[in-house]
Amino acid sequence: MAELDNTIHQPVRLQIMSSLVALDAGEEIEFVHLRKLLNLTDGNFGAHLAKLEEAGYVKVKKTFVVRKPRTFITATGKGRDAFEEHISALKQIIGAQQKNNLKGK
Amino acid sequence: MNVTNEDAVQSLAQVEEVMAKTRQSLVSAYAGSFLILWGFIWVVSYLGTHFFLMWADWIWNISSALGIIGTVFIIRRQYGQGPARRNPSDKRFLLRTILFWPLVFAYAFAWLSIVKPSNGIELNAFLVTAVMFAYVVMGLWFGSWLMVILGVVVTGFTLVGFHLIPAEYYCLWMAVTAGGGLLGTGLYMKLRWR
Repeated sequence: MAELDNTIHQPVRLQIMSSLVALDAGEEIEFVHLRKLLNLTDGNFGAHLAKLEEAGYVKVKKTFVVRKPRTFITATGKGRDAFEEHISALKQIIGAQQKNNLKGK
Repeated sequence: MNVTNEDAVQSLAQVEEVMAKTRQSLVSAYAGSFLILWGFIWVVSYLGTHFFLMWADWIWNISSALGIIGTVFIIRRQYGQGPARRNPSDKRFLLRTILFWPLVFAYAFAWLSIVKPSNGIELNAFLVTAVMFAYVVMGLWFGSWLMVILGVVVTGFTLVGFHLIPAEYYCLWMAVTAGGGLLGTGLYMKLRWR
């Protein structure tokens, strides 16, 4: 039985993880690109990212590209596994509800 | 944690939406500008050829040169802004891409020297389908189905134009379908997939 993940379930963090898991393993997305894509403010995005980093679900790398500071984010293996389990748990909830509905008929 | 069925359905829908949006935004960040540039160049060049046939060679030589300059400008700008995504295999892909396009044209011109098209329409249809074949290969390579579909659809339009459209309307047909196809796809990506 898959379990829901408290860290990932928060809507903003679910969006961040969905975006990162959509990339290939090891692939990184640029901080500003992702923030704009999810339509978040700098502070809100940074705070949720910090929570995910604390849980070991994402890795944040600061680097220089053409002498400009850039931050890249990637989902870790642990983060991908936790996300998959969370999605499985959500699907199980829907499946269980569908079974109940069928029994009721 | 108490999650209702409605919450779960909503969360899964949001996950799917964000995943699709992420993939689309990354494709758009790289390919959108190139499609707009080359779509615009094709539209202008085909229309120019239709209305001023005697200057067709000049029109295509100048517009192709402008397209190459524009392509270099877009690459420089994208490089200057920094990448929207990074992948450990980027360098390998970049080298392959840099080698791929000159090779496509080298082969296209090698085949042209063998098949020797007898008029401008044959030459044009051959080059357009060669470029669209390259789009399909790039699409399969980078996992972009949009590039594959675009390549196949424009190839289909070119074949229809070549076989079914009267020669005097070929360039108009290609301006709308091939040029318009690239331009429209690029604009759609930029406006809807940001």
